[in-house]
Amino acid sequence: MAEDAEFEAKAGDLLCQFERILESDLLIDEIGFIHPSQFSKLKEEAGSSKSATSEIMGYDSSDFWLQDHKLGISTEILHPLYIAARNTFMAATRKYRSFCNQDAQTVAGDHLSELSNSFNIVESEVMKHSRALLLLSCDFGTAWNSRKFILSKKQHLSMYLDELLLSKLVLSYFPKSEQAWCHRRWVIKLLVQKGYTVEEILKKESELVERIAEMYKMNYRAWNHRCWLVSYMPREQVLNEVKKTRKWAALHVADNCCFHYRRRLILKILEDTTCTEISSGLTVDIYQMWKEELDWDEMLIKRYVGREALWIHRRFLLACWMIHFVSDPNTCEQEGEISNNFHFFLENELNLVNSCSFIPNDDFEDFQAQATYSGAYLLWLIKNCPKPNMIQLEEKLKACNLKTLLYKVCPEGRYSLWKSLMDSIENSH
Amino acid sequence: MGELAAEKHVKYILSVEKRKDDFQSVVMEHLRMNGAYWGLTALDILGKLNTVDADEVVSWVMSCQHQSGGFAGNVGHDPHILYTLSAVQVLALFDKLDVLDVDKVTDYVVGLQNEDGSFSGDIWGEVDSRFSYIAILCLSLLHQLDKINVEKAVNFVVSCKNMDGGFGCIPGGESHSGQIFCCVGALALTGSLHHIDKDLLGWWLCERQVKSGGLNGRPEKLPDVCYSWWVLSSLIMIDRVHWINKEKLVKFILDCQDTENGGISDRPDDAVDVYHTYFGIAGLSLLEYPALKAIDPAYALPVDVVNRIRLRKKLAV
Ligand SMILES: [Zn+2]
Repeated sequence: MAEDAEFEAKAGDLLCQFERILESDLLIDEIGFIHPSQFSKLKEEAGSSKSATSEIMGYDSSDFWLQDHKLGISTEILHPLYIAARNTFMAATRKYRSFCNQDAQTVAGDHLSELSNSFNIVESEVMKHSRALLLLSCDFGTAWNSRKFILSKKQHLSMYLDELLLSKLVLSYFPKSEQAWCHRRWVIKLLVQKGYTVEEILKKESELVERIAEMYKMNYRAWNHRCWLVSYMPREQVLNEVKKTRKWAALHVADNCCFHYRRRLILKILEDTTCTEISSGLTVDIYQMWKEELDWDEMLIKRYVGREALWIHRRFLLACWMIHFVSDPNTCEQEGEISNNFHFFLENELNLVNSCSFIPNDDFEDFQAQATYSGAYLLWLIKNCPKPNMIQLEEKLKACNLKTLLYKVCPEGRYSLWKSLMDSIENSH
Repeated sequence: MGELAAEKHVKYILSVEKRKDDFQSVVMEHLRMNGAYWGLTALDILGKLNTVDADEVVSWVMSCQHQSGGFAGNVGHDPHILYTLSAVQVLALFDKLDVLDVDKVTDYVVGLQNEDGSFSGDIWGEVDSRFSYIAILCLSLLHQLDKINVEKAVNFVVSCKNMDGGFGCIPGGESHSGQIFCCVGALALTGSLHHIDKDLLGWWLCERQVKSGGLNGRPEKLPDVCYSWWVLSSLIMIDRVHWINKEKLVKFILDCQDTENGGISDRPDDAVDVYHTYFGIAGLSLLEYPALKAIDPAYALPVDVVNRIRLRKKLAV
């Protein structure tokens, strides 16, 4: 029993220190859990200059380290600190909820001001302790919810923006936290509902995702958030995003997420293009954008051999072409030039497949992968080819002997898939 | 190739339940209900559910129910549809669905359907195609599917389909094996698989198998045992499982076992956890590994449990 009490007292003390640090530096933008052995190293590095922690607490702590708005927490204390944060938060939120129920019952009375005063205190306790808890356990849904509940009764923009700061801080070291991303969406939806213009916020969100994606590659939750933003973006912003993400994608050719994001943007542009715009020639711009993407992707495929994400992107561009530029009679009529390009398009794609299916003798793994992806792409081309153009394609395939190519590059373990696909394609024509 | 260290896994799962001291296990306490589902279903597939005190589990599960009818991840936490399904599944495992106030749970789930047919995860409104599957499965287990607008629910799921044949969290979201499992499951449970181009989706799913035999969740990712479940069950539901190499996948899963202390990890030589232990065992069950109970790919419960529930419905009608 005495041991338990001691543990509790120590844990409570740690929580107080933690919360004091959080309150004294509102600009903390990064948190990390560090091994105790790293503390001495940090002290050495800091030299004679005092750490911010010692300034706040009056002594050098071996549990927390704060400098330049970066906070380190010793891994040694995580467990007791978490227990204290959880218990304190749960107690505060229970108290707050029972207050809310009471509040609804008390219509008026002499003690109203007294009551509202203590209500405010409990409310700020919930905000304080949920923050501490979430910085330790990022997906503790009940803590995020308690903040949502309080915020939904407030009207101050600054409070909403604070939530974006908190979840950003959480994401700085839990980049995959589902709840933190979800909290951001909740705030943005609330802002939209309240009539704020969110264009600037969307821009910053998009940049945030990119920074976090840099830290942790192929972060599905982060990119999903970015895809979600698109539905709120005006056309100009969508076009801008297409331009802006190109460089990042080219530097991260294995990150399928970023390429998917570009697909999302392109589809959004296509979706929003109305019939009137089609006849007014706006499709030429879209066609131009699509063509640029196709050329760019080809350049990357040739430069970075054997990257799956690049080939998957090409599959999308091909399907997109078939749906929006080939089989749509409106566009064909308007853009005679585009539809006539089918011949050139086909020629170009088959050349690409041909050149990429070559496996040098030294049996380099990347080239093998490249050959496989190009073969799968050829299958994709055949499967997506519109019926009226099939004869043309068949002739080409025969002329270049491409079906034998397929068998040559098919990897072990994919025979049954590729064969089934070929059979079903052949049966349907 | 090694064999399944079934006994060790049973021991491991039972030990996790008791271990509550280190930081790693306490920070997971908010989703203990999911953990219970993973661990207990794995035990059942291994034929060892009887080693658990059913009454104790059931009373703990019921203590996580909120007045709204939904279940929380642990006592005193807020309810969420994720934990509500896990709670219903755990009760189904023990044949204890009769302790539920079915109307109350149904009301909770029904209340989360939105105008466009999608489902929110809780009252705070986050939408995800996963929640559609969860709602549909939860109501199917309770024989209450007719209480929601199924047509709209299906339409929303279909709207999450991408040009590559896969599905994302929301319309326009990237295809992901986990989401695909949820969407295919939702369509299977509602008899709407005709919305799927099976060759196209099967193709995408097959390309998840990498050289080692393991499956990944998305292009360019490393293989991971949990995707054995998601990819495999989806392939079975759309009848394309013969397109992957099953033997190699079995070997990959077995290579991820800790043969000394039990448990299965995401990849060979990583640390084990209950989550991957469950998905590894469930994957092996789908691969018809000997001496394991069969698991239903859409219900994510042992086939005998599902049959029992179906039979109840027949008898009730
Ligand atoms: Zn995994």
